[in-house]
Amino acid sequence: MDLVRHLECFVAVAEESHFGRAAVRLGMAQPPLSQRIQRLEKELGVRLFERTSRQVTITEAGTLLLGEARELLARAEALRTAARRIRDGESGLLRAALSPDISGETVAALLAGFRRRHAGLELELHELTTAQQLAGFAAHELDVGLIHHPCDVTGLELGPVLRRDLGVLLPRGAPQTELDEVPLAALTGYDLVLFPRADAPAVYDDLLTACARGGYTPAAVRHGQGAGFARGLVLSSGAVALGPRDSRLVTPGDQDVVWRPLAGAAPAWRHSAAWPKGRGDAAVGAFADAATHALRTTAGAHSETPARPLHLRPASEYWL
Amino acid sequence: MTDTATAARLDAAFADAGVTGWLHAVDVDSGTQVGVRADQPVCTASVHKLCVLVTLHELAAAGALDLTEQVECPPDGRTPGPTGLAAMLDPVRLSLRDTAFLMMSVSDNTAADLLLRRVGLDAVNRTAARLGLTRTRAVHGFGEMLGTMREDAGPGGARALADPHVITRLRALDPARTNRSTPRDMTRLLGAVWRDEAAPPEYGAAMRRIMGLQVWPHRLASGFPFDDVHVAGKTGSLPTLRNEVGVVEYPDGGRYAVAVFTRTAHTAAVLPAADAVIGTAARIAVDALRAP
Repeated sequence: MDLVRHLECFVAVAEESHFGRAAVRLGMAQPPLSQRIQRLEKELGVRLFERTSRQVTITEAGTLLLGEARELLARAEALRTAARRIRDGESGLLRAALSPDISGETVAALLAGFRRRHAGLELELHELTTAQQLAGFAAHELDVGLIHHPCDVTGLELGPVLRRDLGVLLPRGAPQTELDEVPLAALTGYDLVLFPRADAPAVYDDLLTACARGGYTPAAVRHGQGAGFARGLVLSSGAVALGPRDSRLVTPGDQDVVWRPLAGAAPAWRHSAAWPKGRGDAAVGAFADAATHALRTTAGAHSETPARPLHLRPASEYWL
Repeated sequence: MTDTATAARLDAAFADAGVTGWLHAVDVDSGTQVGVRADQPVCTASVHKLCVLVTLHELAAAGALDLTEQVECPPDGRTPGPTGLAAMLDPVRLSLRDTAFLMMSVSDNTAADLLLRRVGLDAVNRTAARLGLTRTRAVHGFGEMLGTMREDAGPGGARALADPHVITRLRALDPARTNRSTPRDMTRLLGAVWRDEAAPPEYGAAMRRIMGLQVWPHRLASGFPFDDVHVAGKTGSLPTLRNEVGVVEYPDGGRYAVAVFTRTAHTAAVLPAADAVIGTAARIAVDALRAP
């Protein structure tokens, strides 16, 4: 019996609680799926599901075996991936992704660093948002990526979390440009140009919370992306934009807008390499190291500063 | 509204709040239901105190204990927590039912472990099994669960819980290694309590009274800002996890068991939008169940 294939069927039916939906997900018809589950129950000597005419529910025994089945499937996938790389020798393939805000310079340094660490291995690099990368990990379509925090890290392993501190883009002549570092509170009165919230709600909220914590609550947030759009609003309509130094918001020789670092505990983009738990191998490690090194050297990214005080409130329910 | 449309609205609400959500809602009387990921395993956290409450009342109904029985709670060795007995400094003596009231109304961790010691973890799992909750299991008490978190967080203490690395290794956030259930199991339990199937009516009424006295306004209750609607529930929280299960009762007699479990992308301890979406999602679900 092909145990892996049968376990895939078991996990799909357990997760969907429905033979029809599980069959659709597995791309097969329902009768052979039912037969597979029966064969698996016979092989294991354990009843996995209770079936009634209307629904299917997992048994206690099934619940106990589900975790093991998932683990075995993840290991089987890791084995297939490793075998594919071994089979292809040094010309194997690593599927990796970067979020769109990583600068060209960082990408170039990453690629060069990866080749030094793992010459010959083919790197298939995609530009994907963090949400798309997480979906790629879950679908086994992506081996490793460079993600934005905060995001749901369930089932992931992470490289070191690095910060790219944000600065502010101001119109030339604004009084704040005379400061070497601009306190967030000095931006009061300006609107804020920010990416649309739906792109990454947690990152968006994190940034606005950091601004509020620093004394800056913009009266309006103007949604848009792209350096040209931000520049236009900064020049013409009393808005500022935030971005890391390496984000090229200001092109050399620009006479109209100025970038200044933010003072104090500035908000930051936070990144780390990430890969699915248990699926990290030498190639994944080489990519994670190269990405971390490239961010440090080309984007001025640095390790997380010591955590701020944390006051748990009674509604948190837990206490350490 | 179709089930698919409701599921899409629920997913949009969860995404907008920056959380992953699991939900099941059912009309306690007709059995009509809606859900998203309703059969996936979730960490119950303090929601498991509901199972302790039901076990206590089941044993009382069977004559195995008396709810007015007094328990001693000395200051030493209390399970840590920010509320109730867990936060008090001096010796306390109180009845089992008042201990249950503290466990449910302010999620008192010390009260919960006092009751667990009295009834035993096995009894809690037997009650769950008897009520057909096949995927609900308590593997440790609340002090022990917090102990795994302290161990996994390391010397950084509570501050370390903001670190995504630490979050990835907390056993308390892995349903396979901590107290667990599914949204559907939890609404099944609530339905049994509200239909007096979990215990005789007198004991059912006692449990419903206690669940209606929960103080937290920020989750399930926030979705029903209506003076004539009654909300009873039990929350559960751990780093990145925010849960509540409860029953919403309308004056026309409609009553709905709702179980909402969420996990935030952000590791911050204070995230009002993540608390509020539990109410928002519950209302989307209840409105769908009440739709003509």
